[in-house]
Amino acid sequence: MEALNGWWDDFFWGSVVVADVFVVSLILTVLFGLTGAAAKLSKNRVAQSIANGYTIIFRGTPEILVLLLFYFGSAIALTAIAQISNPEIKYVDIPPFWAGSIAIALIVGSYATETFRGAFLGVEPGQIEAARALGLSNFKTFIYVRIPAMWRLALPPFGNHMLSLIKDTALISIIGLEETLFVAEQAIATTGKPFTMFIVVGAIYLGFSTIITLSVVVLEKYANQHLKIAR
Amino acid sequence: MIFDFALIVDSIPKMLAGFWMTFELWFLSAVLGMALAIILLLMRISGRWYLYAPAMAYIYIFRGTPILVQIFIIYHGFPQLEFIRESIFWPILREPFGCAILALTLNTGAYVSEILRGGVLGVDRGLKEAGAALGLSSTHRFIYITSPIAIRLALPAYSNDIISLMKSTALASTITLLDMMGIARTIVAETYAPYEIFLSLTVIYLILTWIIQKSIGLIEKRMSRHVRSEA
Repeated sequence: MEALNGWWDDFFWGSVVVADVFVVSLILTVLFGLTGAAAKLSKNRVAQSIANGYTIIFRGTPEILVLLLFYFGSAIALTAIAQISNPEIKYVDIPPFWAGSIAIALIVGSYATETFRGAFLGVEPGQIEAARALGLSNFKTFIYVRIPAMWRLALPPFGNHMLSLIKDTALISIIGLEETLFVAEQAIATTGKPFTMFIVVGAIYLGFSTIITLSVVVLEKYANQHLKIAR
Repeated sequence: MIFDFALIVDSIPKMLAGFWMTFELWFLSAVLGMALAIILLLMRISGRWYLYAPAMAYIYIFRGTPILVQIFIIYHGFPQLEFIRESIFWPILREPFGCAILALTLNTGAYVSEILRGGVLGVDRGLKEAGAALGLSSTHRFIYITSPIAIRLALPAYSNDIISLMKSTALASTITLLDMMGIARTIVAETYAPYEIFLSLTVIYLILTWIIQKSIGLIEKRMSRHVRSEA
């Protein structure tokens, strides 16, 4: 255990990076998921096929492949664009933080698309008719009726998506993000204690997973509050 | 930035040379993982706390940490421990292939046991009671009544898990194994053509996913043929 002395703060800052990536990619996941679900449920054929292609591709390829493609691919594209204006530039890339967050959000977003689609379909048509009858606009119906009703149904599977998200953050160390796994590798290079260091990383992730699981339990309770009173 | 088709034509056979590695990783850990999952399931439904509690702890830990961290703990971490270096398992754990199989098996076992449990819980009580009324012992009831129905109920979820296992095999490339992903990464490092290589690999993985999905779909159809013939 004494091998860990002097590394605690590095692991702490690594965990902060993990939490940052998680928050950013969570927001993006919800965004991608809602957009994807809206596209799949729309009557527009083009939007439907784009959304279908999106879910098929991102649910069928390994996460690490998406991440590397996104990171190196965008670097090549950006370099090519930058060289148009200034041929001196050798290399431009997206920071690993953003490349990683967007990549894992795209992956988990494709799963969230299916979850949200199912949840929107699960909202009772009667509720929407009632909103219409009250004279709510389409937009207001969406915000005040569809979203709250859908959210309750989507929450349990979405909790699993959040867990995938936090676990996928570990992959971003491969493209050089300085999160806990990256810290562990540095610590191993100086201390030569791989088991100890990786166990610490595992424990940190287990902590994050526990927090997320507990939050989902609390959120579910909150979301179903009104049902309890009715009983 | 021009799409180099000659390079694609050239590298697809090279990547397919890694197919057997991917397949072996996938197939072996699926089979071993299933065995582990059944053991964990039996421990969980045994109703004895000293069997139930370790199984729960195991599932909690392996589902709460990233598979990449598990792979690193086993491959990089275990050699730090003397008793592992001296154990009879060392010849397996010394090789990256053995480590990858072990990590994938341990990981998928935790997930699959949850899926199986879902299936077992979904079996109608009345059927088990009918079995009891016919004088079947609890072991016989489990083998002849619960299992066949539980397998059918669990199959759709299992199909998702076996696909995600296939995607996880790509992580073996991080511990020097040359599966399809590993070969692709080597080619990209040599040619620096991530678009061409990674996109063609994406297509290969999508085809694999599609094949798995269709095959399980067929099994599912066959197993529920009695349901349709009634309707």
